Amino acid sequence: MNPIYLFFHKTGSPPWFYSFSGKLIPWLWAGFLLLAAYGLYLGLLVAPPDYQQGESVRIMYVHVPAAWMSMMIYGLMAIWGFIALVWRIRIMEVLIISSAPIGAAFTIIALITGSLWGRPTWGTYWVWDARLTSELVLLFLYFGVIALYNSYDEPRKAARAASLMAIVGAINLPIIHFSVVWWNTLHQGSSIGTSGNSIHPSMLWPLLYMALAFKFYYGANLLSRARVRLLKQDHRKRWVQDLLTEETR
Amino acid sequence: MSHTPFILASYLISTVVLLWAALSPVIIKRGLLKQLKYRQTRMDKSQ
Repeated sequence: MNPIYLFFHKTGSPPWFYSFSGKLIPWLWAGFLLLAAYGLYLGLLVAPPDYQQGESVRIMYVHVPAAWMSMMIYGLMAIWGFIALVWRIRIMEVLIISSAPIGAAFTIIALITGSLWGRPTWGTYWVWDARLTSELVLLFLYFGVIALYNSYDEPRKAARAASLMAIVGAINLPIIHFSVVWWNTLHQGSSIGTSGNSIHPSMLWPLLYMALAFKFYYGANLLSRARVRLLKQDHRKRWVQDLLTEETR
Repeated sequence: MSHTPFILASYLISTVVLLWAALSPVIIKRGLLKQLKYRQTRMDKSQ
């Protein structure tokens, strides 16, 4: 069998996923800590203040990566939701519902840090601007997915409903991304894009290190949550019983 | 206007939120394992 196909086939097995992710988690945490430490060192101590924003630009090193994560995680949830609905892969269902609280956490960080940056820069904590409002809608979508999942007793039915909501809610992602283009917003347009960057490397690198650190954080946190959820769902199954017997020895 | 309180508040709040998100599955797992082990020992005793 093709090794890539074999890997995906194995990933679908809860005992294998539980054991494999258990080995991966410490490495992901270590990656997060190292990258975040270096990113924070560059962002808080090395990068210069902005000529317009002054020192408040340092908030960007957590705000921008958090906002990217909030969108990326929802996008992944929609993709996994589609896979879960079409191929009925249980691990995908587990990954969707395990992602939602992490995505909500990053959205909360993006909203709060954005608000704290807005006060010294714009003179206000909040405006009902298209970018800010669509990001707030994203937070409500995360809460909606979590609430919908918890409203069912049967995990597989709950996951199907949550998957559907994740797919439908993904319509908000292009709205968030293009809001600064489609509408006249107070929020500035993208400084980093495929056609080039309007940001100096001394400010770009801490941003990229923090963005990568958050990806490691997401990976570690997602796998930790998925393992707990698998244990909860499969607690009557043989592999969990064997695991418990092994641990009590 | 000094920007320091805004920067400190941003990093403090982010740290608290990320710590909460990281620790909550660990706490839940600990409770769940305790519960499952208790249930298993009770079942073993009854058999």
